[in-house]
Amino acid sequence: MEEILQVKNLKKTFKLSRKQRKLEGGAATKKAVDDLSFTAYKGEIFGLLGPNGAGKTTTLRMLATLIKPDGGDAVIDGKSIVSDPYGVRSKIGFLTSELKLEDFFTPNYLYGYFSRLYNVPEDVAAERKKKMFESFGIDKFAEVKVANLSTGMKQKLSIVISLVNDPDFIIFDEPTNGLDVLTAKTVTDYLAELRANGKTVILSTHIFSLIEKLCDRVGVIIDGRLVALDTLANLTAEKNLEDKFFDLYKSVKEER
Amino acid sequence: MKTVLTIIKKEFARFFKDTRLLITALILPGLLIFALYNIMGTIMQNAEDKEAEKACTVYIADIPDSLEQSFLLSFSLKADFNDETARAAVKDGSLDLYMAFPKNFDEAVKDYDVSSGQPAPNVQIYYNSAKPKSFEAYSLATALLSRYEQTLVNKFDINADLNGVYDLADVQNVSRTVLSTVVPMVLLMLLFSGCMAVAPESIAGEKERGTIATLLVTPVKRSVVAVGKIAALSVIALLSGLSSALGMLLSLPKLAGSAGGGITFSMYGFGDYAAILGVILSTVLILVAVISIVSAFAKSVKEANGLVVPIMILVMLCGVFSMFAGAVASIGLYFIPVFNSALVISTVLSGTVSVAGIAVTICVNVAFAALLVLVLTRMFNSEKIMFNR
Repeated sequence: MEEILQVKNLKKTFKLSRKQRKLEGGAATKKAVDDLSFTAYKGEIFGLLGPNGAGKTTTLRMLATLIKPDGGDAVIDGKSIVSDPYGVRSKIGFLTSELKLEDFFTPNYLYGYFSRLYNVPEDVAAERKKKMFESFGIDKFAEVKVANLSTGMKQKLSIVISLVNDPDFIIFDEPTNGLDVLTAKTVTDYLAELRANGKTVILSTHIFSLIEKLCDRVGVIIDGRLVALDTLANLTAEKNLEDKFFDLYKSVKEER
Repeated sequence: MKTVLTIIKKEFARFFKDTRLLITALILPGLLIFALYNIMGTIMQNAEDKEAEKACTVYIADIPDSLEQSFLLSFSLKADFNDETARAAVKDGSLDLYMAFPKNFDEAVKDYDVSSGQPAPNVQIYYNSAKPKSFEAYSLATALLSRYEQTLVNKFDINADLNGVYDLADVQNVSRTVLSTVVPMVLLMLLFSGCMAVAPESIAGEKERGTIATLLVTPVKRSVVAVGKIAALSVIALLSGLSSALGMLLSLPKLAGSAGGGITFSMYGFGDYAAILGVILSTVLILVAVISIVSAFAKSVKEANGLVVPIMILVMLCGVFSMFAGAVASIGLYFIPVFNSALVISTVLSGTVSVAGIAVTICVNVAFAALLVLVLTRMFNSEKIMFNR
């Protein structure tokens, strides 16, 4: 299998406010991501599983070059997130709830705008837009301002926009959050389709069923550390994923 | 370059397709200034007319023949008072002035010998300084008396010919001087408010709503984002400033009344207007860049608007100081951004402009704006600034 992502000793610490320091026992900083290393292979869906605040989003934000790591590095398809962030950005698609679309514009306008920012040729963009809008059901709302779209439609549009450059490496942070089962299914089906087309997907979630349904391999993050990394089949050999996760969580907390 | 255009186009689309924004940033400023100045002009005109209608009421005891004529012309003279009632009336405001002349004032004045050392004939004038009208009457009365006193010992006159023209200044020159002190400050303020109408919304607003993050994960260079934003915002800010300026120019005749009659556009040549335009352009670039930097630093549009206030005061001060510096300014002062713009505008309007001053100003301003773009780029690169809430 061909490696497409190598994460090496990735670290990120945040400064704490003075009041928060007292609560955390005097430490001035908090390690959000603590010496994280893993590898993802081409054509797989890699899941990052962890509770809220475990460092999943921070990790993905570093991979997407939105924030810089304090230590370590990650190489995506030959481009380093530290030394070549622009190179990384043109190769990936990134979706997270923090990236908002401007309420004032319509899906049609935004798709064209972001295609131009990624330097996608006009004809290619038009064709891609038609296909994507159809498969996500946005075509009927193409001229409705984002402000007037439903939550689900906004999320679907965010997904479509994050893929305007047809990237081979896709980073999705909690892609089904806040979506109803029907919309969530559209999204998970599309992720499977991406894999079938040879794309690599890294996704983070705290939803076990999503991992069980989609992922080839899983990394479990607790308190910024990778506590397990294996194929889904190996992880769930003895018991189901949920019970396995509780075991891992308990052993980590007992260690401290 | 293509990407810069994409960003500029998007900023334009955001602005020009939004009717509300168009109204609040482009139409309202000009309209409000026009309406406000017209109302002010009308009120001032009315107040002047009313004041002028009513002459001051004055009671004069023992009015001398020599002065009766000039007092009749200047005041509305009242009778039916005595010393006591007149003073009470001045006190309560029903009478503006009470003058008491000594009996036989004319003879007493004629007979008085300055060298005798005796006290001179004394006129008593009672007034109420708390009432503007009464004080006005007092000033007028003392002026009339002083003039009369001068005629008694008249040895020579100054500018006695009432129809002669003694002030040899060109009417246009006077207008130019007036304009050169007022316009730089007003212009700077209008430009600043134009920038304020758009820059915080486009930078702090996008940051607050999380839409700038979507732009920052694309492979577009931060410097391109900064240049695109500042270029687009400068154009919009210029239009907004133009709207205010138009409102002001159109309401000027009403506001200035007849006093503004000497001011015409033909006083200046093409070169003058070109110089002003060039300086304005370079100034707007700086103002937009500065406000953008503050907005990028702020967490919300509201915070940005608050943080900008000290900068607004600085810009106002630039306008104020340019009034004093004016023509005597050394070339060194032209190296201070924004202040140099006020100086150039002031000197162009007063007709004392130097080409070197204009050149230095535009170069310094453009260089300074470029520096600010660099700062903004660095800020867009900083996760602390862009993503800390």
